[in-house]
Amino acid sequence: MSRTETPTAASEPLAGPAARRAGRRPGRWWHDIWAGRRRRFAAYGFVLPAAVMVFVFLIWPFLRTFTLSFTDADGMAQPEFVGAANYSRFFSDPVLASSFGNTMIWLGASLVLPVVIGFLVAWGTFQFTGGVLYRLPFILPYALSGTAVGVVWSFMLRSDGVTNELLTALGLESLARSWLLEPPLNTFGMIVASTWQVVGINVILFLVGLQAMPREPIEAARVDGAHGWTLLRHIIIPLVRPMTIVVVGMTLVNSLKTFDIIWLMTQGGPYRSSETLAVTMFREAFLLFRHGYGAAIAVLLTIFVLIIASTYLRRQLRNA
Amino acid sequence: MSRSLRHLLLFIAALLWLGPLYFVVVNAGRPHGDWGDVPLWVPSSTFALFSNLNEAWQSAGLGASVASSLFYATLGGAAAVLLAAFAAFGVVVLRIRYGFAWFMFLYTGTVLPLQVFLTPLYELFRAYGLYDRRTGLVLLYTAIAIPFAVFVLRNYFGAISSELREAAEVDGASAWRIFWQIYLPLSRSALATVFIFQFTWIWNDLLFGLTLSRSTEVRPIMTALASLQGSQASTSVSVVLAGAIAVALPMVLLFLAVQRLFAQGLNLQVER
Repeated sequence: MSRTETPTAASEPLAGPAARRAGRRPGRWWHDIWAGRRRRFAAYGFVLPAAVMVFVFLIWPFLRTFTLSFTDADGMAQPEFVGAANYSRFFSDPVLASSFGNTMIWLGASLVLPVVIGFLVAWGTFQFTGGVLYRLPFILPYALSGTAVGVVWSFMLRSDGVTNELLTALGLESLARSWLLEPPLNTFGMIVASTWQVVGINVILFLVGLQAMPREPIEAARVDGAHGWTLLRHIIIPLVRPMTIVVVGMTLVNSLKTFDIIWLMTQGGPYRSSETLAVTMFREAFLLFRHGYGAAIAVLLTIFVLIIASTYLRRQLRNA
Repeated sequence: MSRSLRHLLLFIAALLWLGPLYFVVVNAGRPHGDWGDVPLWVPSSTFALFSNLNEAWQSAGLGASVASSLFYATLGGAAAVLLAAFAAFGVVVLRIRYGFAWFMFLYTGTVLPLQVFLTPLYELFRAYGLYDRRTGLVLLYTAIAIPFAVFVLRNYFGAISSELREAAEVDGASAWRIFWQIYLPLSRSALATVFIFQFTWIWNDLLFGLTLSRSTEVRPIMTALASLQGSQASTSVSVVLAGAIAVALPMVLLFLAVQRLFAQGLNLQVER
């Protein structure tokens, strides 16, 4: 920290006298220009500490991942350039194929479950007596870390866990499964766990969207006799559309990034059957020491994230 | 839909969502010998939550990790907020040349998946003696918390009227003083919001801890919890559940205490 704070401290004498002089004699135009220059120079002192940190720990590693992805780096020997070999390996690696398939399942399910449930809860509790209280159970799990959620749902879904015991008690033994051991059941089970966690944020976001709706069109539609499903479908859903775009984008990106829950519940197993790209990257790079191949998977994941993020980021940055 | 039907549906859904938490709380208090005797939904007659917590704390080494994570989250969060405030001030108020490009440079990190940083960071940390060191993790957590903080504070500073600043400039105040005496005090609530966000993020991180640390003294709390879960063959499930409650509860309480701040922070993130 001390290293990065030095330039800001140095910026004080730069800006100080100049600004003071300009202030005392506002009529002297060259002082104004001088002060402006000094101020712009001081700006570097303010921006650089953060910029250096971001460059060293984020931007440089990001760029380095790209170059690593064209090598056979293994964390030990000097990396050799291997061209696009890591990338062409995508097409012949069965683990990557199943990992990719699971990632798509995660994406598809996240598009439906957390978004729809989030909207229904927000809509159901919006301007409703006791709404705050009803929302709380949904928001609470969002305050848990992915790791804690993983612990909770491992306990729910393990073979001698809560779900199977409840099924047995209800006389439905035939439905009991080894939820975390059979693909693709394990992926679905973890999607349920993730949904349980992330619905909360979507409820909050949709609520913000509902509260921002203009009153007039809703009143007008009510006067015309629209209510229930018709009102929802033709008035409310179009009105919260801008927020829906944000929610869908964020949910999809987060589902691509899901790591903690999978790591805690199955570690991607058994036999790598429940890995997603986020987990495969970690396993290849840090357990199998294929740094180059792991880097290539990270690049692939990044491309997916950027494609999806661009849908809602464009809106976010336009207003920024 | 009638009101009572709506109440009923919401009630059932809420109960369903609370279910897992109920099972966790009930079974985190189950003593070792009590497994299998009673159904999982029946609380044990002996209340062993504290002895389970104690076991997680001591023998599983959660205690050391709590101290580490408290250190990472406090220092990393605070340093990131301060550096981000500097940067936002430089971009918005001092209007650095090519300000938008600087902003984009600082902001890009929030979008990317963490996996894209991991391998080079691991190599960097190995090469410079930062691997499995507290210093290394604090530096990294500070850096990773900066982009989002810059994003929020840039919006916030932009909304502060420039008249105050201009008056201070006429009075001869330096940029340094304007930052500390005008902008920082005026944005206290935004700074607090961002700090809490980033504190929580660092506290909840698993992936960096997994990649960049190994020893029980250095590894952050979620990494310790993950390894406790991994050793379930030797520890009882109750101990793992108790551990999960111990590390998650502070964040839940913090979250409930600052829910309004949190909603504000989200507004900053989404609406502007």
